[in-house]
Amino acid sequence: MKRSVPGRRLAAHLLLILFAGNLSAQDMPLEQVLIDGEGWELVGEGYKFTEGPACDPAGRLHFTDVPGDTIYRLDDNGKPEVFVRDAGRPGGMMFGPGGKLYCTQGAKRRIVAYDLEGKLEVIASDVRSNDLVVTGKGGVYFTDPRARRVWYVDPQRNKRVVDEGIERPNGIILWPDQGTLVVADTNSSSLWTFRIEKDGGLAHKQAYYTMRLTRDKAPQSGADGMTTDRDGRLYVATHAGLQVFDTQGRISGVISRPQKAFLSNVVFAGKGLQTLYVTSSDKVYRRKTKVRGLLFSSHQAPPAKP
Amino acid sequence: MRYSIAFVVLSLCAARAGAGDEQYALGADSKRREGTPAGKVSKHGHKSEIFPGTERDYWVYVPAQYDGSAAAAVMVFQDGKWYVNEKGQFRATVVFDNLIHAGEMPITIGIFINPGVVPASKKGARARRNRSFEYDTLSGQYVRFLAEEIIPAVGKNYKLTADPRLRAIAGISSGGICAFTAAWERPDYFHKVVSHVGSFTNIRGGHVYPSIIRKTERKNIRVFLQDGANDLDNLHGSWPLANHQMAAALKFSKYDFGFVFGEGGHNGKHGGSILPDTLRWLWRDWKPVPEKKAGKDGGGKK
Repeated sequence: MKRSVPGRRLAAHLLLILFAGNLSAQDMPLEQVLIDGEGWELVGEGYKFTEGPACDPAGRLHFTDVPGDTIYRLDDNGKPEVFVRDAGRPGGMMFGPGGKLYCTQGAKRRIVAYDLEGKLEVIASDVRSNDLVVTGKGGVYFTDPRARRVWYVDPQRNKRVVDEGIERPNGIILWPDQGTLVVADTNSSSLWTFRIEKDGGLAHKQAYYTMRLTRDKAPQSGADGMTTDRDGRLYVATHAGLQVFDTQGRISGVISRPQKAFLSNVVFAGKGLQTLYVTSSDKVYRRKTKVRGLLFSSHQAPPAKP
Repeated sequence: MRYSIAFVVLSLCAARAGAGDEQYALGADSKRREGTPAGKVSKHGHKSEIFPGTERDYWVYVPAQYDGSAAAAVMVFQDGKWYVNEKGQFRATVVFDNLIHAGEMPITIGIFINPGVVPASKKGARARRNRSFEYDTLSGQYVRFLAEEIIPAVGKNYKLTADPRLRAIAGISSGGICAFTAAWERPDYFHKVVSHVGSFTNIRGGHVYPSIIRKTERKNIRVFLQDGANDLDNLHGSWPLANHQMAAALKFSKYDFGFVFGEGGHNGKHGGSILPDTLRWLWRDWKPVPEKKAGKDGGGKK
């Protein structure tokens, strides 16, 4: 095909802009996320310790009260209702393929999954766990902070340890393309990245992200739950607040905590997955944003940029 | 029609990016001269242990005057693909040819190295780009990578100096702070630093250097900084203010430093246009002081 002259000039300009773009490397300031005038709104209160915010395929938030042994979900009016009682100290949660809700079950040392009716299936047993992430293929990575381990349960339900040695591995999440796993260390300033290998194993461990610390808690970041948005930003709940990172591991900024209490976890849910939900001690909050989250079970990641 | 609209939009973007830069052009020292021998450039790949899983390219420039009889000086450029490009904003290899030929800098082997990438393990996944981690982090990891992996690899084929005064390191943007960090961490390894529009801002904590420089015993390094009034001002900081802070701190602590502040933006146009003079300044005393000739008139006079 004959190439038109404007086409060639366009290509030259594109090259120029790619060059310039590379040098200042796509900054992602907080203003791309936050909406002026939109603050944190209370969703629910009166719980003992909230955790495990998870978004179902319809955008509905689920969360847990760990000591309360209960899994909640928002009803059609956005009010919390009980989904599962006597859930055995439910911790981290995420929806996986087939609309199943995967959950760490501390009291029974299990990873379980609930279907839409709340019927339970055991995914892994005889394991300590804190938080988990479910891949689009139904594999589960979860953290065991006490043993300093990261585990992988493949879609056939075979489990194995895939990393050891992070001081207190806690929150765990994937990049949108599901090729990189990120594990938060509560006791340090590091979030660790790994490349996910074809067999589900982890390679090339690196402290890719460095979190902001607070003067009174340093060197502990208090890093707990994480989520990612469609553009690849990473959000992590910490002592300093909700920290946001860009796709190159550079901190974009810190979103203030909704209350002066422990911030445990975060997820995008609601219409268009445009609302951030956080769990904080006795309460759950939400905040509208300009960005969109994603579901690993259904979202097709955009093609890798050149 | 679709093309032309896109073209106009892109042209506007490009024009905006160029504010303040029009005045900077390459001079004669950045152009090939007849009769000046050209060095040879070869391309290589490297897989790192120190940055696990990363892969990268680098280019090695060997001046025509190098014959292996004596160890060559070494200069390492970060984001090497930009500096080694003979049609780019710096054209460092052409400048090297001209300055080495004129005796204004030593016979220097140039290493032009790109930042690392951890390639994706599956189709459609994004590679982990390691540039910010390697360049913006305030630690000795990157200089260790150069000193233990890259320079020894080049040293297998060429005789390289062991004298820190004959080792220089340069970079642009995050590569600029990277060059400074390398020498700051290992002044026993790198003596000379060139920073173009250096990111002495809070990308990964680099904004603290001015105060650290003021309150640390002076290190034996020589630093050249270039920046411009139209450089970035964003969430990480103000590049013009940060470079002024760096220059003021280097002055306060009585460093051997140079600072050229112009009107350019976040690119290599100004830095490229003055690269020949920058290198002359950097290497100004590279020749060992000649020994006094016995007999004549006592020597020592210039």
